Amino acid sequence: MSEQIENAKSYVELKDINKHFRDFHASKDVNISIPKGKLVALLGPSGSGKTTILRMIAGLEHPDSGEIWIDGKKVNDVPGSERGVGFVFQSYALFRYMTVFENIAFGLRLKKTPENEIKEKVTELLKLISCEGLEKRYPSELSGGQRQRVAFARALAPNPQLLLLDEPFAAIDAKVRLELRTWLKEMITKLHITSIFVTHDQDEAIEVADEIIVTNQGRVEQSGSPQELYSRPATPFVAQFIGNSVPVKNFERFKHFERNDDDVTAILRPEFVSVFKEGEHVQYANSAEQAVVEDIIFRGSSLEIRFRLHENLISAYRSINEAPIEIGEKVNAFIYRMFVIKGEEISLVNNLSIKQESVII
Amino acid sequence: MEIRKDSGIMKWILIGISFLFLGVFLLLPLFYIIATAFRDGIGGYLVAVTDEYAIKAALLTLKATLISVLINTFFGLAAAWCLTKFAFKGKKILSTFIDLPVTVSPIIAGLIYVLTFGRQGILYKYLDPYGIQIIFAVPGIVLATIFVTFPFISRELIPVLTAQGTDEEEAAALMGAKTFTIFRKVTLPHIKWALLYGVVLCTARAMGEFGAVSVLSGHLRGKTNTLPLYIELLYQGYDFTGAFAASSILVIMAIIILILRLLLQNKGKREV
Amino acid sequence: MKKKSIIPGFGLSFGITITILSVIVILPMCSLVVFASKLSFSEFLYTISRPRIMSGYFVSISTAFFASLINAVMGLVLAWVLVRYEFPGKRFLDGIIELPFALPTAVAGISLTHMTTTNGCVGKIFYDLFGIRIAYTRLGITIALIFIGIPFVVRSIQPVLEKIDLQYEEAAYILGADRKTTFRKVIFPEILPALISGFTLAFARCIGEYGSVVFIAGNTPYETEIVPLLIMAELQEFDYSAATSIALVMLFIAFVILSVNAIIQSRVSRRVSGIS
Repeated sequence: MSEQIENAKSYVELKDINKHFRDFHASKDVNISIPKGKLVALLGPSGSGKTTILRMIAGLEHPDSGEIWIDGKKVNDVPGSERGVGFVFQSYALFRYMTVFENIAFGLRLKKTPENEIKEKVTELLKLISCEGLEKRYPSELSGGQRQRVAFARALAPNPQLLLLDEPFAAIDAKVRLELRTWLKEMITKLHITSIFVTHDQDEAIEVADEIIVTNQGRVEQSGSPQELYSRPATPFVAQFIGNSVPVKNFERFKHFERNDDDVTAILRPEFVSVFKEGEHVQYANSAEQAVVEDIIFRGSSLEIRFRLHENLISAYRSINEAPIEIGEKVNAFIYRMFVIKGEEISLVNNLSIKQESVII
Repeated sequence: MEIRKDSGIMKWILIGISFLFLGVFLLLPLFYIIATAFRDGIGGYLVAVTDEYAIKAALLTLKATLISVLINTFFGLAAAWCLTKFAFKGKKILSTFIDLPVTVSPIIAGLIYVLTFGRQGILYKYLDPYGIQIIFAVPGIVLATIFVTFPFISRELIPVLTAQGTDEEEAAALMGAKTFTIFRKVTLPHIKWALLYGVVLCTARAMGEFGAVSVLSGHLRGKTNTLPLYIELLYQGYDFTGAFAASSILVIMAIIILILRLLLQNKGKREV
Repeated sequence: MKKKSIIPGFGLSFGITITILSVIVILPMCSLVVFASKLSFSEFLYTISRPRIMSGYFVSISTAFFASLINAVMGLVLAWVLVRYEFPGKRFLDGIIELPFALPTAVAGISLTHMTTTNGCVGKIFYDLFGIRIAYTRLGITIALIFIGIPFVVRSIQPVLEKIDLQYEEAAYILGADRKTTFRKVIFPEILPALISGFTLAFARCIGEYGSVVFIAGNTPYETEIVPLLIMAELQEFDYSAATSIALVMLFIAFVILSVNAIIQSRVSRRVSGIS
């Protein structure tokens, strides 16, 4: 997968980008390569520099050093308005004193597009975003989802080759957000326009993006497909950030895990663990360790069982169809594998009792 | 809102105090002006306000007000745009200098212009050969008026523009819009009520400026006397009817301004 | 200033701003500095320490202080009434608070003076009943300054009071606080910075006020002479050195007042938001 990305001709490329805001080092040697037609997520915690990267690609900010290439051209000195990008702002930045129609038509008017073409194009876009009949409304008279779609249409109107979206779902209610995610993915796939969006929500990135770029403290930690990031995190940060990962203490006390080195730490995800009641006959029952359930959280389709093992509060999922477990109950827990971190290196370590089997997740 | 409801006696005592206080300190002097102006009947009033020098003073006030409002509007728009849409070094110092004139006593405002353009001033030797006289003449009055009302418009615009942010302008610029297009189509609709409000405040203060103008005016009747200076002259000459009649013109203007202010404020609020 | 923004028009707006600012504010302020630097220090000290000038400072500062104090109290009451209560005439009350901004100071001055002389309609009552003279005394100056300062405190507190989240009061109420405690412990600390800010603004403005005071003061040396009037008197004698000396001290006082306010405000905002 990673070779494929490198082989594909990149449409957007950032080379050794550095950017400071006064004393704050917002981008540190950022290198990014984005293939044409892909939908890419810039994922990271707040303050990790993801929005800065997006704004530099748009020409809203300028790097202190490094090069930005779009479609084979170096664009460092090309003003944002001539880079052929569409930008959807986090707050949408719809022109509050213009109607929906005028908002979408704004970019076209600047290009001196004939009036009948403007009307045609806006009507077409309104249909695309299913907002027909709203053209005379002002942004304040729209719902959050509608505003987002109008902002999307406004960015698309001048036919950009690259669409940039800054936290496109941040300001929307949870339920509408899920619908919009699917909608946006469909829309972008249909239009086949290279798109980059910024998000701090890993579920959003994993669900929507073809490829994810993880940023942390101004650096790019890793980029790759969602599956890749999930199963082969390249850095400790990615291992911790993706999935519901928890750090583990007293790593050496876990049964069937060897500790070869003193200064290692480990990370555990709920899906690496399974819990079963005493007496339940399952594979690896003999290699399991006993633990006491401290908390049970109802997650809708499953239960999150929290138990304490070697002074760690560890979570595991259990289907609601299985025999119920109660708080205080003694259960058996089996740990399939852990991420083991030594310095900046990370490796997936299997439970020794399942050595013979290959791991597929 | 339940717990904020207060129908007790305290509420009415406080409201009563408020009315009494404003009634005594603000309304009483206002009515007193009108009453004294008409003390000698309508006829006396008309004679006083149609006095040749009164009209000349009113015209000079109008002229100085108009010029200062124009310049301050132009300045206010540029300064507010510059201070809110861009990040640059020295922004704080710049805004401190813009706000400086309101903290300076009007008399000192007059003094600094005398020191600049007066006989011993640093610019006198450059201006005098061309016969340009600033102090004790109309240009001085205009300059003083601009100075005392200097930040009035930018101060109304800056909070509105700060609250609005720069997203909309950035969006427009990304699509290729030029300065004046962005200003006219995106920024101006946001600030139009604040701008008008600022213009009203500026007009009010410009019309009534006394201290600074008093320093810079030559006090020549019919030449460099503005309406407030003319009023002073009449009052000190014990022509109370004349002084109060001339004052009543400014009182009426003040009332119009207050009404405009209320209307604009409501309009601005409703749009937000 | 290297950073270029995507929004155009920086050069243009910056250029216009700097040009007009230079002509109207910076150049005249510079000439004040240039002129002041030529003054001999002993002469400066002699001028400002003349008893008549010293008493001028005392009159200006004391009357401005009392007037601002009264305005702080009344401003708080007015802001509270306007934000929290509904009553007939509320919009009228809100509207006329700005009258001192709109009414020329000289007009206010002659009206207040004429009214409060011992022959005036108000002054006569006070003189006949209590033997109190208003016009041509420090009391008169204070009254003129109250007139000038009213809007400052009200307009500082009003927006802050409007923005106080109802939840604070509800929280205090649920925890068992009565009205008085809620005001003292919850609301008052919220509006205190605005109150101080309004007070200092009014104070600074009142020290420099000329138009409304000059008529009612009567200008008796050592009694009711205010500093702006003393500067004016020196200017009329064309004694620019003396005028500048007195003005410098006044600018310094205004600077101190406003700095104290700025320090208080930044302390408060640091405490509230956790960032400096």
